[in-house]
Formats: sequence, C-alpha cells, structure tokens
Amino acid sequence: MAENGEHHSALPYFLVWVALLILTVTTYVTGRMHLGTWALPLAMIIAVTKSLLVILFFMHLWEQKGANRIVIATSFVFVALIISLTVADVATRFPLSTPAGAPFGTDIPAELEETAPEYQPPAGKIGEPPRGVPQPK
Amino acid sequence: MSEAAALPPGEHPARGADPHLAHHFSSLERQVDASRLGMWLFLCTEVLLFAGLFTGYAVYRYSFPIAFAASARTSEIWAGTLNTVVLITSSLTVALAIHFVRTGRQRAAVVCLLITLAFALTFLGIKAIEYTAHFHEHQLPGRYYRFEGVRLPGASMYWALYFLMTGLHGLHVLIGMSVLGVIAWRTSRGYYTPHYYVGIELAGLYWHLVDLIWIFLFPLLYLI
Amino acid sequence: MRQSEEDREKLGAPPAHDSYLTDGTTVMSWLNTRDHKRVGVMFLAAVVFFLFLGGVFALAIRMKLLYPGPFLFDALTYNRLFTLHGVTMIFLFMIPAIPSAFGNFVLPLMIGARDVAFPRLNLASFYVYLAGAVLAIWAMVHGGADTGWTFYTPYSTTTPTMLFPLLLGVFVLGFSSIMTGINFIVTVHTLRAPGVGWMRLPLFVWSIYATSIIQVLATPVLGLTVLLVALERVLQFGIFDPARGGDPVLFQHFFWFYSHPAVYIMVLPGMAVISECVATFSRKNPFGYKAIAFSSLGIAFVGFFTWGHHLFVAGQSVFDNGVFGVLSMFVGIFTAVKVFNWVGTMYRGAISFKTPFAYICGFLFFLVFGGMTGVALATVALDVHWHDTYFVVAHFHFIMVGAVIMAFLAALHYWFPKMFGRTYHEGWGLVAASLIILGFNATFIPQFLLGNNGMPRRYYQYPEHFQALNVASTAGATLLGFGFVIIFIYLLIALRWGPRCEQNPWRSKGFEWLTESPPPTHNFDRIPHITQDPHDYRTHAPSGVYADV
Repeated sequence: MAENGEHHSALPYFLVWVALLILTVTTYVTGRMHLGTWALPLAMIIAVTKSLLVILFFMHLWEQKGANRIVIATSFVFVALIISLTVADVATRFPLSTPAGAPFGTDIPAELEETAPEYQPPAGKIGEPPRGVPQPK
Repeated sequence: MSEAAALPPGEHPARGADPHLAHHFSSLERQVDASRLGMWLFLCTEVLLFAGLFTGYAVYRYSFPIAFAASARTSEIWAGTLNTVVLITSSLTVALAIHFVRTGRQRAAVVCLLITLAFALTFLGIKAIEYTAHFHEHQLPGRYYRFEGVRLPGASMYWALYFLMTGLHGLHVLIGMSVLGVIAWRTSRGYYTPHYYVGIELAGLYWHLVDLIWIFLFPLLYLI
Repeated sequence: MRQSEEDREKLGAPPAHDSYLTDGTTVMSWLNTRDHKRVGVMFLAAVVFFLFLGGVFALAIRMKLLYPGPFLFDALTYNRLFTLHGVTMIFLFMIPAIPSAFGNFVLPLMIGARDVAFPRLNLASFYVYLAGAVLAIWAMVHGGADTGWTFYTPYSTTTPTMLFPLLLGVFVLGFSSIMTGINFIVTVHTLRAPGVGWMRLPLFVWSIYATSIIQVLATPVLGLTVLLVALERVLQFGIFDPARGGDPVLFQHFFWFYSHPAVYIMVLPGMAVISECVATFSRKNPFGYKAIAFSSLGIAFVGFFTWGHHLFVAGQSVFDNGVFGVLSMFVGIFTAVKVFNWVGTMYRGAISFKTPFAYICGFLFFLVFGGMTGVALATVALDVHWHDTYFVVAHFHFIMVGAVIMAFLAALHYWFPKMFGRTYHEGWGLVAASLIILGFNATFIPQFLLGNNGMPRRYYQYPEHFQALNVASTAGATLLGFGFVIIFIYLLIALRWGPRCEQNPWRSKGFEWLTESPPPTHNFDRIPHITQDPHDYRTHAPSGVYADV
C-alpha cells in the first residue's frame, strides 16, 4: 500500500473526533435557539462540515485516488439535483394542487378505506362491439 | 489463488507469491484500488438511496413547515444528541481499528472493533427507547397518528418520514454491525496484515457512511 | 515492449487449447463459473427467454386489439397483460440485454483484461437477476398486477392484484443492475491492458461506461420508490396518498428520476454496439471518435435532468414544466452528434452490407424518428395533446424498443462468431433483418397515427373507426414475430452445425478480435500490448501485440 507508514500517529483521528463533537454541540445549541429562516441553512452548513471531516479524514479520501473523490462528489451533485428540482416543483405549483395534509383525527372513514372495489367485468359479451363509445360523424 | 496456478507459465513470474492477488490483476495495488473504487461506488448508491427520503422530507417540510417544526420539538432530542455522540465516537474507534491494523497491532484493532460494536448496540438501544416512547404517545405515521400534542395537518407526515428515515438508517446499522462482527473475527484470526488490510478498510468505509447519514438526519429530524 | 515474428504469428494462430466453451462442460462448471464470458452467455440465454415471454404478451395484447369490443379475454386480463409486457420487457430484457450479456462478454476482451474486476460479484449479479425474475414470474402466475409497469400511485397502493411480489422483484433486479454497473466502472478504471489509455478505449466501452454510471446513480432511487409503494400497501403511511396528506406527484418524481435515465441505460448500450459495428462494416475509422465518446457521457449526464417531462399533465408546476421541457431537448443534441458521426463514418467507407449492417440502418431510422418525436413530446403544449395516447407508445417503442432490438440483434450477429466460433447463414440473416425492420414499422407507424387521432393507451376497448389502423398494427406485430422465429431457428442451427469460422471473420480492428474465437478461458495467453487507436482501419497491421513479460 502506497500510503503505508504515513500514519504513525493516531492523533489526527482524535482531533477530528473532537472537532465533530464541538460541531455537534454547536448544532444542538443553535438548533434550540429558534433562529427562524437561518436555522435550516446553518444546520446544513454544520452537517456538511461534519460530513466533510468524516469523508476526508476518517474515510481517508484526503489521501486517495482522484476517481474515488469524483465518485462521492458526483453522488452529492445528484442528491442536490433530485432535491432541488423536486422542491422547485412543489414551491412553484398552483397552490390548490399541493397536498393539504390530513386533518387531525378525521381519518378516512372505514367504509371508504381499503382497496379498490372488486373487479366487475364490463357490460356486454365478449365479441360484441363497445357500447357508449361516440362514433365520428 | 488456485486459478493463478492454472495460468500458462511465463505470465507474471512474481505472482503466486502473494495469496491475496487474484489472477486477473497485474499487481496488488491495482487490486486494492479496484476494491476501494468499487466500495466508493457502492457508497454512492447508498447515498442516492437515502436521497429519495431526503427529497420526500424536503417536499413535505416545504408543504407543512409549522407541523414539521412543532413535531420536531416533540421528538426525544436528548436521545438524538446522545446517539450522535455515540455514532461519532464509534466512527473514531473504527478509524482507530484500521490505524492499528496498518501499524501491525491486531489485538488493539480487535478491541477497537468490539468497542464499535458496543457503541452500535448502544445506538440501537437508545433508538428502541425512543421508538417505544413514540408508540406510547401515538406519534406514528399516517392513519396511526393520534398524538394530542400536535394537531396540525402534516404532522403525521413528519412521523412517516421519521420512521422511514431512522428505520432505513437502523437497518444499515444492523448490516454494519454484522459486517464489523465478521471483520472483528477475521482480524482476531490474523487475516489482515499491514501489507493487506483492504477488507477492514472497506467495512470501515461502510460504517462511516452510516455515521454520515446520521449526521444529516440528526438536525433535520430533531432540531429544526 | 518487444515484438517478435512469433508474436505476429500468434495473432492468427488456430486455437491451441481449450476455449471457454470446452473448458469444463458439466452443468456445475457453468453455474459456478467466475468467467465473465460464461456469465455473459448465461445472461444472453436468460434475456432471450424473457424477450420471448414479453413478445408473447405483446402479441396477446395486439390480438385483443384486432377488435374494438371485448375479445379473447376480459379487461382485467388485458390490464395484467400490458403490465407484464412492460415489466418483462423493461426490467428483464432491455436493461440487462446488452450490458449484462454482450457487455459482460466483450468488455474485458476489449480492454485486454482477463476478467471483470469482481468475478464473483458478476456471477452474483446473474443469480440476483434470476431471483428477481423468479419473484416477478411468481407474481405473474399468481394473478399478475394491473397497474402498468409504472406503478403509479394511488392506484398501485390500493389495487387488489398481486403487486407486492412484483415490486419486490423489481427491487431485487435493481441490485443486479447496480452490481453490473459497479463491476464495469471498476473494470474500466483498473484493468486496462498496457497501451489502452482513456482515449484508446473502444467506443463500445465508452458507452457501456456511461451506462454503468447511470445504473449506479439512478437505480437506488427506484429501489427506494418501489420499497415505499410496497410499505404503503402494507402499512399505509400515506406518503403518496393524498387522503393522508401525501403527494402522488412525488411518486412520479421518484419513479422518473430513475426511469427516465433508465431509458438511457437501455439505449446507450445500443449506441455502443452501433458505434462498434459502423466502423467495422464501413472499414473506416470512426468519424469524430472523441465526439462519440463524450456524447455518451453527455447523454448520461443530461439524461438526469429531464425526468419531469413525464409529469407535464400530472399537476407539476408550470415552472418545472418549462425547465424540464428545455432540458429534455439537450439530449437531442448529444444524440444528433452521434447520429451525424455514424453517418460520417459510413460516408465514403467500403461498406459491406452484412446482417449487422442491415440492423445498423434500422437502428438509425428508429433512433432518428423516435428521437424526433421525443423532442416534439418534450414540448409542453404538444405533450398535452399526445400524453397517454398511442403516440407516446409508438414513440418509446421506436426509440427504446426499436433501437435496442436493432442493436441487440446487430450485436448478436456481430459477436456470434466471437462467442461461439461459428457463423450463421448470411442470406437468412438478411431476410430476417428485413422482416423485422418492416414488421416494426408496420406495427408502430399506425400507432403514431392512432395516438395523434386520440386513441388513449392502455384501454381495453376503442371506437370502431380506429379498427383499420389497429389491424395494420397487429399484422406488423405478427410479421415481427415471424422475423424473430426465423432468427431463433437459424442461430440455433448455426450454434450446432454452423461452419467454424476463423479468428476474425469480419476483419475487424476491434481489440476483442485479437484473441481466438471463441476465446480461451483466460482470454489472452499473454496480455496484449495495444499499439494502435481503436478501429484504426488505415493500416492492416494487428492493433496490438502480446507483450513479453
């Protein structure tokens, strides 16, 4: 292994661990401060920082080949893609066509619950022309 | 490898000396690179598996911001925070296990792996306590939601996503535990040497991914 | 690198030892093989079987549609048949057809490797595929499902038919697809022979590489989606159920995030085969090697940005409709780059009109017309008119099925000598090719017209004035079926009694022909050292020599 012997000390792992703990405390404290619109971006920035620490040092991406870096970077790009374009749909939709959410305590009545009605074969015998279908003039 | 012996003579005179080298690789470095790249690609599929759930979370959080914020506040924040610390520390012990194998201290590596397994069990234990509390309070998905504390439309969707995300993550913890168990056993039998330790390295990568997913789940489900 | 006269002789030498076919002939030696070639052949047998099964379903549907009213079987059976046709053809035939069967066989040969990077994973991928197929067939035998292969919610979460095992089957098949994808990417990265740089990869390898990227990135989302539908059926979480606050459009986002790139999982390998065959049968270097190679990656990338064009009338926002409509058209650019380059390759080439070349022509026709109708369908206003009509059915049969079947058959004929060391009857090959191309057009051109006149897809009955075109379509499907039967017969005969061929019957400069046909178990006695660019027809020298150790 090429990187054999480069890691004589385990100290970097402990440093990363301490950094992760500090960031956890930070996200916990800021999360309880009710920062409003900034809560989500801040929490996500902290989470991304933490994940970068884990990926680069615990997972040794720092010292690995380019292909592995491209792989993980690509996967994050596509995560961003599916989230952004799907949320863009909900965010710009005609308001009445977004789901309203089930109101509390008024679950679907039992008689409307469950599966679709039993299959009924269409009226008319096999071999007959369809009925009720408009024909062109 | 037995297949290597079946090769025509004259090909790669050096091969055969290394029992780890498969017949179709020219060198052990290549083979290790291949295993690593394969594992990173697999992790990539795992990330995209969770991406769907994160998308669902984003969409419903956008649709029901108040219900999501209210529900997140009724989750067991102490448990989530504790579990974050547990998982981060277990990540450290896995990284240390690999470090010890690299530097030829197998016994220390086994101890680290066993500590990791203990942390994983702790994580699942805390999760079980949490799940029990939610079941008692009827903080449940879809039609089963009967929690009186939050009576907003969309609250049941928060719990649907909560159980889906933590459930899928918990499944990964279980898989990771079985992988680490096998790896610990093999380490104790001396399978991994400073010269060839790719198996334990890949298992570590998987465990770190489990940690990585949790790093995102924690703020989204518990804090904001 | 040293190069001796002996090496040169070696390139044309007759088989001196066992080929992969004769090295172990017991059943277990096949079932427990690690050899990528045997895995490829087993995949080939499996996908041919499922092509037959899907074809039978298709013919049954077409037979019913001969007559406007109820005919042959009832509406539920009809719904089950088109669902099973879709599931079989897409998940069991088209997705694994070219990458898993031919990709497995020739990709390692093309980069001068002894095997794929993870041979055991490769075999596992085959068995996982079989497991998924068994689950799907089990669902079919026990009643089948009636949702269509798209499993749209909320119907799929409530239908009383046997959807659950089918969803599990699709989930399991996804694993097989991912395994193959990971294997190919790693193989291309780590097992290239000396002299095979990235810009010397054969064009087949480039496209399969792009396909594998899509398989790795998109398939997990499908796995999650079918899992959510299955959970929804059992536990009723309400995640896609509007009655419980869920959004059915979200399901469509998830589903098409996989399934739109999945059409490129199907068609990119087809393009891979065509890129390979065009150069061989025009005896000319590919026109614009880099353009063809990078447009494969371009299609793989842009293919991910287009899924929303399936949701134009599903309640997606106007903003997203516009974005996805525009982004969808970018695929047309990359596809056009390829088409122009193929035609440019043929231009002033020494074309030998063999059976694979006939399929190339068919492929170009179907790809161009299917693609053009695709661009039209990506226009929001037009899609409102055509959505869920037979126009869409005809469009995707042209571009997916037409192109994939053409490429699959081209690959089958082109690599048949490579795989089995025998040749088939060229005359019958051309007859069957013309029957199939003719039959395909006769089946689907009437469906374009039907759709444009407003006949919706997936309906059991239709107004009587659509009957003439439906009869024409069924007649075409029958012709298509005959074509396949002919191919099946003469290839079976060739397999057993076909004349043995030399190592390189097409005089191709593809790297896979550097070894014997059929190849020995470990592909190369010695790893070849590639000395030329791929498909270099300017010289007659072999494209590589065996490197001395």
